[in-house]
Amino acid sequence: MNSGGALGGLRILDLSNSRGQLCGRLLADMGADVIKVEPPGGDAARRIGPFVDDAAHRDRSLFFWFYNLNKRSLTLDLKHPRGVEILLRLARGADLIIESFAPGAMDAMGLGWPVLHAANPALIMLSIAPFGQSGPYRDFDADDTVLAALGGMLYVNGWRGHAPVRPWGLQAYHSSAYYAAIATMCALFARDRDGTGQRIDLSMQEATAAAVEHVAGSYFGEGRVEPRRGTLHWSRYFRVGKCRDGYIMHCSLGDWTSLVEWVAGDGKAQDLTAPEWEDVQYRAVHAEHLFDVLDEWVAGYDRDELLERAQTLRLPYATVRNPEALFEDEQLRARGYFVEIEHPELGRNIRYAGAPYVFSDSPWSLRRRPPLTGEHTAEILRDELGLTVDEIAALAVEGII
Amino acid sequence: MARLPLEGIRVLDFTWVVAGPVATRILADQGAEVIKLERKPGPLGPRQTGLQGDLHRNKRSIAVNMGTPRGVEIAKGLAQVSDIVMDNFSARVMRGWGMDFASLSQIKPDIICLSMSGLGHSGPRSNYVSYGPTLQALAGFTLLMADRNGEPAGYGYSYADMSGGYTGALAALMALWHRRRTGRGQFVDLSQFEAVVSVVGPALLDIAVNGREQSPPGYRSQESPAAPHGVYRCRPRGDDDDRWLAISVRSQAQWEGFVGAIGAPSWAYQAKFRTLYLRMRNSVELDANVSRWAADQEAESAMERLQRAGVAAGVVANGADICARDPQLRARDFWGMVPLPDSTTTHVTGIPMKLSATPGAIRTPSPVIGEANDYVLGELLGMSRAEREELVAEKAVWPI
Repeated sequence: MNSGGALGGLRILDLSNSRGQLCGRLLADMGADVIKVEPPGGDAARRIGPFVDDAAHRDRSLFFWFYNLNKRSLTLDLKHPRGVEILLRLARGADLIIESFAPGAMDAMGLGWPVLHAANPALIMLSIAPFGQSGPYRDFDADDTVLAALGGMLYVNGWRGHAPVRPWGLQAYHSSAYYAAIATMCALFARDRDGTGQRIDLSMQEATAAAVEHVAGSYFGEGRVEPRRGTLHWSRYFRVGKCRDGYIMHCSLGDWTSLVEWVAGDGKAQDLTAPEWEDVQYRAVHAEHLFDVLDEWVAGYDRDELLERAQTLRLPYATVRNPEALFEDEQLRARGYFVEIEHPELGRNIRYAGAPYVFSDSPWSLRRRPPLTGEHTAEILRDELGLTVDEIAALAVEGII
Repeated sequence: MARLPLEGIRVLDFTWVVAGPVATRILADQGAEVIKLERKPGPLGPRQTGLQGDLHRNKRSIAVNMGTPRGVEIAKGLAQVSDIVMDNFSARVMRGWGMDFASLSQIKPDIICLSMSGLGHSGPRSNYVSYGPTLQALAGFTLLMADRNGEPAGYGYSYADMSGGYTGALAALMALWHRRRTGRGQFVDLSQFEAVVSVVGPALLDIAVNGREQSPPGYRSQESPAAPHGVYRCRPRGDDDDRWLAISVRSQAQWEGFVGAIGAPSWAYQAKFRTLYLRMRNSVELDANVSRWAADQEAESAMERLQRAGVAAGVVANGADICARDPQLRARDFWGMVPLPDSTTTHVTGIPMKLSATPGAIRTPSPVIGEANDYVLGELLGMSRAEREELVAEKAVWPI
C-alpha cells in the first residue's frame, strides 16, 4: 500500500519483542510496510496490559496496540526449520529486519547476520539489545526499570535522601526506539550510496544514557555528580509551584520586568524588586529563594488563570497537568493530533496519538489498526512468496504459521 | 575512516537551547555538514565542554547579525546551498526574515524546512512560550513523577528536549529521504509538545479506551508483571550512602534464581511468596524483606550476582557510575573524546548506535562562535576577502 509517506515502498520484517517494537511503528507511521513476525499464538507483548475494558485477550492488548499500529501480522514458528526458511525468503525482498532477542539468539536460529547478509546483501539488520552485542554485560537481562537505572535516568529524579523516582512510561525503551529509527535511516542513506546493507548494534543502555540531558555534561565538564533536586530543574530556572487548585511550572527565563511587576502588583514581590534579580544568572544561583517567594505568590491563584495571564505577558509558565487533560487540549485538537480508527471487531472507534509533525508533502498516516494475531499471514505468504492455498493450509496444519 | 552515512548533506541550523541542537547534533555525528547560524557575537562562556560541548560538537559556526539586511541576505544565500533549514522558533520569526518555507522554496524549489517549535505553527496556542520542562509538565510527565505522598518530585532534567530532539532528527532524515526519492522538498511543522506526548506510550490508550485516570506508576511494573520490582537501598560506597539497586523479577525461574542468589533465606519460602500473583499481592512485605537484604549489599556485586542467576538487576547509576565506572559502557567505548584547540581532550556523550559499515564519528569539538565565517562566506558563498571584511565592518557578520 503506498501511503504517500516518506518511507513508502520500504519493506520491514519486525521480529522484535516488547523492548523494540516502537521503532517499527515509527517507520510504519511514515509509510513503510512493516510485517510484525509473531510466533503462532501471538507475540508475548499481546499478554501485557492494559487491555480493552480490562478483559485480557491477545487481540485486546493496548500495550501491543500502541507499539504495533500500522503494522501487518504474520505468525511464523522460527523454532521450526520451515519457519526459518520462509523468513529467509521474505528477507530476500526486505530492506530491514528488526530484532531484539538476546544477543546470539538469531545466530542460534540460523538467522545470524552472515546468513541474512548472504541471502540479501542489501538487507539492513537492526539489533536492539539491552546492552548491545558485545561487552561484559552482553548477556545480562533488563527491563525498562533496570535500563533506566543503569543508564542514569533514575538517579537524578526524586528528592535527595529519598528513593529515586521512575519516569512515567517506558522511557528507556522509547529513547532506544528513536535512536534505532534514526540509525535505520542513516543505514538507508549509506546503502543508497554504497549498495550494501549493514548491521546496526543498538545498546539500550547507551541510548538511555544519552537521553539524560545533563548528567554526562556536568560530570565531564565540571566533575560534578548530579544529585536529585526534587522538582528543581538542574539548570535552576524551573521549579514546580502550587496554586489553589493544582500545580504550575515556574520559569525564571522569561521577561523578568513583566513578571516582577505582576508579582509586585499583587503585593507579593518581597525582595525580588531589587536590581540584582534582573540578572538571569543571579536568579539561577538564588533559585531556592526566588521560587519560595513565587510559591507564596501563586498560592493565591487558580492555575489556569495564572497560565493565561503569564502567557499573555510572554512568561514561559505552564500548568502541571494530569494527562487526561491532553484529550481536552484545544491546541492538540486544533492540530488534529489524536486520530480515530475503527476496530470493526469491537464495533467501536479508538483514538490514537497521532504524529508529532506535519509533513506538507509526505504525510504521516494511520492506515490500519493494529493487526489481529496472524491477520495477514495468508496474504503475505501468497502475495510475497507465491504460496498456494494448499501450501498455506499445510503450513497451518503443521503449526508453522 | 569509513565514509559517513550523511556525507554531502548540508544543514543550515538556526536552532538554539537544547532540543534543536540535539537534533542537528545527531545529523552532524553521522556526517552531515551542520552550519550553526549564531545570532550573537562571541565569545560566550565555555562552549567546548559540558552540555554545550555535547550539543555542538561536529558543527560549524557562523555569526550573522540577522537584524541587518545583509545578514539576512547571507542566511538566504546559505539556504540556497543547503539541503535543509532547521529552526525551533514560533512561526513568525522565520517569516519575518523571509526565510519561511514559502519564501525559500521560491529561491530553492527543493529546500526542506523543518521547524521544531514548542507547540507547532498552527492552533490557538501556537504562540505560547515554552521550554522542555514546561512542555513535559503540560503532557503529564511532571505530575506523574511523584513521591510516596503523591507530590511531584521531578523531573530533574528536560526529557522533552531529548524527545523533541530525536523526533526532529528523525523527521529531518525522513524528509531528506523523501526528497532523494522524489526530488521534492517540503515543510515539516514539528511540535515539541506533541513529540513528548507521543512518547507517553500505552497509557494514552488506557485513557482513551478505558477512561482510566492515570496514577503515578511508582515502581509498579509498566510492562510484564513483576515482583519484586523496584529500587532497593544498598550499603554505602565509601562515604556515598546514596547507592541503590534496581531489581525486576518476572518469571518463576527468575524468582528461583533470585532466592538462590540472595542466599535462600527462610522468608522467601513462605507460601505468600510462592507465585508471582502472591508476590504481587504481598509486595509490601516482599519489598521489606528485599530491602533488608539489600541494605547489607554492595550494589555492584549484588547486581553481578543476581544477573549471573538470570535476574534483571542494575545499579541505579549516578554520573560517576555511567561516565567513569560502568564496565559495559567502558568496554563498548561509549563515551566520545574530542580534541580541543589547546591540544587537550574532553569527553562528550557518545553515539548510541553502532553501524557496522558506516559508524558515525565525533570529529571536532564545539566551534567557537564564528569559527566558519571564512569558510561559509568565502568557499560556500564565493565572497572575496574584501567583501567579507566589509560585512564585518558593517556589523552584518561578527568576527570570530
